[in-house]
Amino acid sequence: MAIERTIESELPGGGPPASVDSRRTVAGIGPYRLAWRRLRRNRVALAFGGLFVAMVILCLLAPVYARDVAHTTPDANHITEQVKVGGKIVEVLSPSGIPIGPTWHSRFFLGADQNGRDVAVRLLYGGRNSLFIGAVATLITMVLAVIVGLLSGYFRGPVDGVLSRAMDVIWAYPALLLGVALGVVLAVGGLNLGVIEIQGNSLMVPAVIVGVVYVPYVAKPLRGQILGLREKEFIDAARAQGLGHLQIMFGEVLPNLASTIIVLVPLMLANSILLEASLSFLGAGVQPPNPSWGTMIGDGIRFIPAAIHTTLVPGIMLMLTVLGVNVLGDGVRDAFDPRARIRVER
Amino acid sequence: MLKSLRLLVAVLLTVTLAGALSACGSSSKSSSSTVTNLMGTAPDYLDPGLGYTTQAAEADWIAYTGLLTYAHANGEAGTKLIPGVAQTLPTISSDGKTYTFTLRKGLIYSNGAPVKASDFAYTIQRSIKLNWGGKSFFTENIAGAEAFDKGTAKSISGIKAEDTTGKITIELLAPYGAFANVLAFPAAALVPTGTAISNLSNNLPPGVGPYEITNVVPNQSFSVVKSPNWSKDKIPGIPAGHVNVDVKIISNTQSEAQQVLNNSADAFDWADTLPAALLPQIQSQASARYSKNPTVSTFYFFLNTKVAPFNNQQVREAVMYALDRRALSRLDSGFQTPACFFLPVGMIGHPRGACPFGDPNAAPNLAKAKELIQKSGLAGASVTVWGETRQPRREYVDYFASVLNSIGLKATEKIIADATYFPTVGNLKLNPQAGFADWNQDFPNPSDFYLLLNAKSIQETNNQNFSLVEDPHIQSELAVLDKVPSTNLQSVAKRWEALDEYVAKKAYVAVFGYEEVPKFFSQRLNFGTAIFHPVYGNDWTSWQLK
Repeated sequence: MAIERTIESELPGGGPPASVDSRRTVAGIGPYRLAWRRLRRNRVALAFGGLFVAMVILCLLAPVYARDVAHTTPDANHITEQVKVGGKIVEVLSPSGIPIGPTWHSRFFLGADQNGRDVAVRLLYGGRNSLFIGAVATLITMVLAVIVGLLSGYFRGPVDGVLSRAMDVIWAYPALLLGVALGVVLAVGGLNLGVIEIQGNSLMVPAVIVGVVYVPYVAKPLRGQILGLREKEFIDAARAQGLGHLQIMFGEVLPNLASTIIVLVPLMLANSILLEASLSFLGAGVQPPNPSWGTMIGDGIRFIPAAIHTTLVPGIMLMLTVLGVNVLGDGVRDAFDPRARIRVER
Repeated sequence: MLKSLRLLVAVLLTVTLAGALSACGSSSKSSSSTVTNLMGTAPDYLDPGLGYTTQAAEADWIAYTGLLTYAHANGEAGTKLIPGVAQTLPTISSDGKTYTFTLRKGLIYSNGAPVKASDFAYTIQRSIKLNWGGKSFFTENIAGAEAFDKGTAKSISGIKAEDTTGKITIELLAPYGAFANVLAFPAAALVPTGTAISNLSNNLPPGVGPYEITNVVPNQSFSVVKSPNWSKDKIPGIPAGHVNVDVKIISNTQSEAQQVLNNSADAFDWADTLPAALLPQIQSQASARYSKNPTVSTFYFFLNTKVAPFNNQQVREAVMYALDRRALSRLDSGFQTPACFFLPVGMIGHPRGACPFGDPNAAPNLAKAKELIQKSGLAGASVTVWGETRQPRREYVDYFASVLNSIGLKATEKIIADATYFPTVGNLKLNPQAGFADWNQDFPNPSDFYLLLNAKSIQETNNQNFSLVEDPHIQSELAVLDKVPSTNLQSVAKRWEALDEYVAKKAYVAVFGYEEVPKFFSQRLNFGTAIFHPVYGNDWTSWQLK
């Protein structure tokens, strides 16, 4: 496997030494290590990356919070219950239907929603759902995009023609519109492809939709890069050695795409989380009663301004998470590709 | 001569100009003003032969008139039947089985075509073939209608119409006390013979009425404009109307209410729920143009009695014990009275006794509910609960699913668009296990509500008996009670009460409340003169600008 390497001096002060002992060797630094070094210097990216990791850990601890702190479940309705706040007994949902605001106590820490459910608990479970869908969608996008990009860029000709036109068809539809159309159809009937069967209210439905919708956005830049890579000498050398197409694609070309893929992953994760939230907001994503930040934002709109926490809290969580991933993604891109050749066009 | 010619041209020009100006002036005086009515849900069908939701009826009843119609009045006065396209109320034979009408002379449709007596027979045939949700009112009562429905007859033998005399005779299989009310349905309102037997909601057939429905954009908007072929006093008791109405479908009730509050739109659909967050503002800033009105309506969850787990009486009883009706009232911003009986307050036959499974205004009995589920052996049974996207109906279903889960069942939800909800759950192929439903009175007779529990009303599509109730006791009681004329209902009130108490004990449906609805307008509309009709809600013919 041939990988382009970058050599940087390790002598203090940098730069080439005045004289070089012929028996001393200059150690090369791999591109990943170099990228990590650059990323480490980017404190802003690391801070936001830490924020994102904190969000993920918090959401993963949702069952612990629900059971041991809030003593409820994400779907339990407490409509006619009362809680004690500051010594006063307060209705979780008033007789006119207004939910209680943040109590800053273990129960209803961030208030209740329109069904008397604990917002903090639903926020964390919603985060799990949103992050799960984002991650699975990103995985689907990257796997499919790599395969399509590799086949298109390597074989060119009719294969490229067919695959590129297929990508163009998907790309022609605005991602949100296509997602809504698919989401509405699949939410009721689910997805049945014979071997694979997904229920309509499964989280996999929005994950598959978001994943497929974003394939062209990644496949096209990858294809462009592969078109350039296949003309390099190391590919000719591999062919001369008698390696087959698959061996060349996955053994020679793909490793050279690794840094690009690594750059694209966090950016696509942010996009996927946002698209899922948008679909759920419009009722075409996560199906009730499963929580999702997008669903929570949509449900809370009619309580502005009386119970603004119902829409504000999930909105802030969504913003912080996507911001964290985006800034981290920018940092990773700068670390791998300072000249920023790779961009994801939306 | 040239001078004379110039003078002539000048005079002619002046006259023409004056004529044009006066035409402009007079057309602006005679043009109707337009008000904007916002609806949270689109009508299921605007085609009068198919429509069966309040949104559809609200528009259809002033664009399509049947042999009979309702008085345009508030309260009980609005439940009085008056002649529509018929000259007078029917002559009913002594055995109650023959209804005779004579068509008014000189009536024309909105497209100018003359109205004929034979159009009535065609209209009923069309509604049956279209599978109108209430077609059992025709097929179960009119002689020959069932045979026509099944395809074994080419026409309905029980309807005879003579175009020359305008005489229409309807033979019933047996006396049906509410039959006159059935003839007031928009589905029985006349359309021309030959009107296509397909859903014409986007390109409506002509009708007889003060208004026409035009500019239909499915699920988005439509206009209800004053019919140029309708003149004042054309049919006594049906007013000509004052304004045109542009109806816009706004699925966001927050936006809907805000627009009316801000006077950007003129009316909030009474069938929608005012957002709780805006209520205090509306009550303080718009008290002169807002009121809460009780309706004769029932909100409930249907429980499919043909499939597990609700084919088990113990499971159904468990649901009754577990349901907290006070909670559902709060989800409706307090616009609901907790209840347990199927016949609502205001309907003859509403029981006055205690609810069989506990006071609806008290806390539920979850322990008893869980015990019943365990006894039934159906703990862990899967249930899919169907609901609409519209708030708070989706919240009702969220709550109901959580209740089912809390008592030991395994409930999931399927939420679908409002406009397709009832046609979807009314499709027998789907066989939904449970879901939200509601019913507003079509006419002041308990048999209207019992369409939903009548085994004979079960049909393949547009079914309204969602629980698929087939109870011999209900059928035998309806066979007697349905014969009683609407004018004599008090004589059988106790028997209706007993039947309703029986239904409550059988727990075929999980009733949770009777609805109050808002009458909420902009400052433009004259609130005091606007009629809130007991059957059709806002009476658009009574709307006037201040």
